[in-house]
Amino acid sequence: MTFAVEFQDVSRHFGDIRAVDHVDLQIAEGTFFAMLGPSGSGKTTCLRLISGFDQPSSGHIRIFDTPSEGVPPNRRQVNTVFQDYALFPHMNVRDNVAYGLMVRGDGKAHRHQQAEEMLSLVKLDGFGDRKPAQLSGGQRQRVALARALVNRPRVLLLDEPLGALDLKLREQMQEELKSLQQRLGITFVFVTHDQGEALSMADSLAVFNEGRIVQVGPPQEIYEKPRTRFVADFVGSSNVFDPQITIRFANVARWSSLRPETVSLTPAPDATGVLARGHVRSTRYLGSSIRVTVDVGGADITAQHPASAPVPQPGAEVGLTWATDALHLMDQD
Amino acid sequence: MAGPLSYPRADGLTGRLSDLFWRRPGVLLALLLAPPLLWLGVIYIGSLFALLTQSFFAIDEFTGMIRREFTLKTYGELFRPANFDIIVRTVSMAASVTLASVVLAFPIAYFAARHARGRWKVLFYLGVMLPLWSSYLVKVYAWKLILAKEGIISWALQGAGLGFVLDGILSLPVIGGNSLSVSYIGTFMVFVYVWLPFMILPVQASLERVPVNLIEASGDLGASSRQTFVHVILPLALPGIIAGSIFTFSLTLGDYIIPQIIGSSRLFIGQAVYAHQGTAGNIPLAAAFAVVPIVVMAVYLWIAKRKGAFDAL
Repeated sequence: MTFAVEFQDVSRHFGDIRAVDHVDLQIAEGTFFAMLGPSGSGKTTCLRLISGFDQPSSGHIRIFDTPSEGVPPNRRQVNTVFQDYALFPHMNVRDNVAYGLMVRGDGKAHRHQQAEEMLSLVKLDGFGDRKPAQLSGGQRQRVALARALVNRPRVLLLDEPLGALDLKLREQMQEELKSLQQRLGITFVFVTHDQGEALSMADSLAVFNEGRIVQVGPPQEIYEKPRTRFVADFVGSSNVFDPQITIRFANVARWSSLRPETVSLTPAPDATGVLARGHVRSTRYLGSSIRVTVDVGGADITAQHPASAPVPQPGAEVGLTWATDALHLMDQD
Repeated sequence: MAGPLSYPRADGLTGRLSDLFWRRPGVLLALLLAPPLLWLGVIYIGSLFALLTQSFFAIDEFTGMIRREFTLKTYGELFRPANFDIIVRTVSMAASVTLASVVLAFPIAYFAARHARGRWKVLFYLGVMLPLWSSYLVKVYAWKLILAKEGIISWALQGAGLGFVLDGILSLPVIGGNSLSVSYIGTFMVFVYVWLPFMILPVQASLERVPVNLIEASGDLGASSRQTFVHVILPLALPGIIAGSIFTFSLTLGDYIIPQIIGSSRLFIGQAVYAHQGTAGNIPLAAAFAVVPIVVMAVYLWIAKRKGAFDAL
C-alpha cells in the first residue's frame, strides 16, 4: 500500500535538542490526519520536514512512495496553510490565491478564474479585490486555505490553522475543514495542541511528546484506550492511578486511567455497587456539567456530575461507582 | 466589612501634574510637541518659505540690487545652457549614485537582516556606522589621496600589471579624466562611499520586517528563489529602498563639498548655490537653484507613489 507520507526512523536534532526523535509514521492517502501534542513536542517540526522547510538529521521521508531528500519545498506536491496565514500583504486576495499558478506561468485569465473558483469554495466570493489587511481573522484563514488548495496539492499541511480564531469561529471552521477534506479527498495533515479539535476532526491521530510519537490511532481508540499516562492526561482530562491505587480497584498493579464521565456519584456512600468512597474536595462548574473531585484516601477521583442534579457540598461524604470496564489499564507508565 | 477606602493624595507638584496629564492627555501631547513644532514649523519651514519667496525675485542687471517684485525671470535663467547643464549634471550624478548604492547596499542589508545574528550583527552595525563617526571632510580628503594619480589605486593596478585598465577607463569621454581624482568617476565613487550607509540602514530595516513565513509560503506555493525575490522580497523591501534613495538622491543633489574637492572643476547645484549667494551676490538665482532639488524630489516621490512603491507600507 502506498502512503501519502511515510516517516522512516526520522530524527531532527537542533544541537543537543532532539526536536524529533526516531519517528516512524505512516499517513494513509485521503485521510484527515492530526498531529497532537503540547508545544515543543515536535509536531510542527514534523510538518516542516514534510513541507521541506527543514531536513531530517537522519532517517527518510517518503511522499507518495517518492524519497524527498534534496527536493526543495517548491517542487514537492505539498502545500501548507500557515499558523498566522502568511498572506502576502502587498497583493490583493485574488493575487494571493493565484500566486501558485502565477509562479507556475499560467495565464492571467486562467489563474483569475481558478482563484475565483477557490474563493467560492471557501465561501469568499467577491472578496478578490480586497487586501489581506481588510479581512477578519476567519476570512484570512479561508484565503490561506484557498491559496494552498489552488495548486491541487496531494497533501495539504495545516499548522495550527485555527489557533488565532475565537471559539465560535473555530468550531465553524472545524466543520468546514472536515467537509472540505471529504469533498476534495486530499490527505490533510493537521497540527494542533487542542485535543478537542484533533478528536473531532481527525480520522486518525498521532500523539506527540518530547519529540516522539506516543500513540497513533483513530480518535476513539486514543481517547478510550490511552497507552500511557501522558496520553490519558493530555487527551481529555482523566483520572490517572498509579499501580498502588489501581490494585484497590482492579487487582493488578498497573497504571490505569478512568475518564470522569464514566464515574457517577451517589450521595449514599453505603449504597450497593459503590467502588470508592470519600469526601468532596472541590467542585467545578462547566455549564452542562459539574466536575466533582473526591478524596478517596491516597488519590483524588474526579467525576462528571450532571448540572441539573443536586451538587454535593465540599466536605460531604459520597460514594463513587463506575462500570468495571471503564477502568482502562495502560501498557506503560 | 471594611469602610470606604480613601485614595492616597497626589504628592506635590509632580503628583498633581501626573494627575493632570492623566485626566487631559492632550495637554501632555501639546507640551511634548510644542518645541519640535516651533523648530520645524517656524524656523525650518519659515526659512524654506523665505527661500521660495526669494526665488521669485530677480536681480537688477544695472544696479546689482534685488528687485522685490514677483517675476519668473530668475527661473527662466535656470534654463540657460550654462545653468541647465549644472542641473542635468547634478541630477544624473544623483541618479547614478542612488542606483549604485541600491545595488551595493541590497546584498549587505539582506545578509544583515536575514542571516547575521549576535556578533555578526554587531559587526554589521559597526561596519556600516563607523565611517559616519569620522569627519566627512577627512574622509573626502583621504579619498582624494586614494584616487590621486600617484594614489594607492593606480599604484596597485600598475603593480599588478593592470595599469592599462585604469588608463582605458580614464580615457572614456565625459566621465574620464587625467586621474580618478579629477574625473566624474572619482566624484561618483566618493559619493557612493559617503552615502552608502544611508541606503543600507533603511533597506536592512525593511528587509528585517519581511516575515520569514512569507518567504516560506512563496516557496511552498512553488516559487523558485528568484521568483520569491521578485514577487515577495523586493516589493516588500521597496519602501526601504525608496527611503534610502531619498537620502542618497537628495544628499547628492545638495552636496557642494565633494564635487569641489574631487572631480572635474565643473559645477554641481550645491556649488552653484554657494557661488551665487556668496561672491556673485545673486540670491534670487541661488534660491531658484535651491528649489530644483526640492522639485526633483517631489517629482521622484510622486512617480514612486504612482508606481505603487508604498503599497506594502
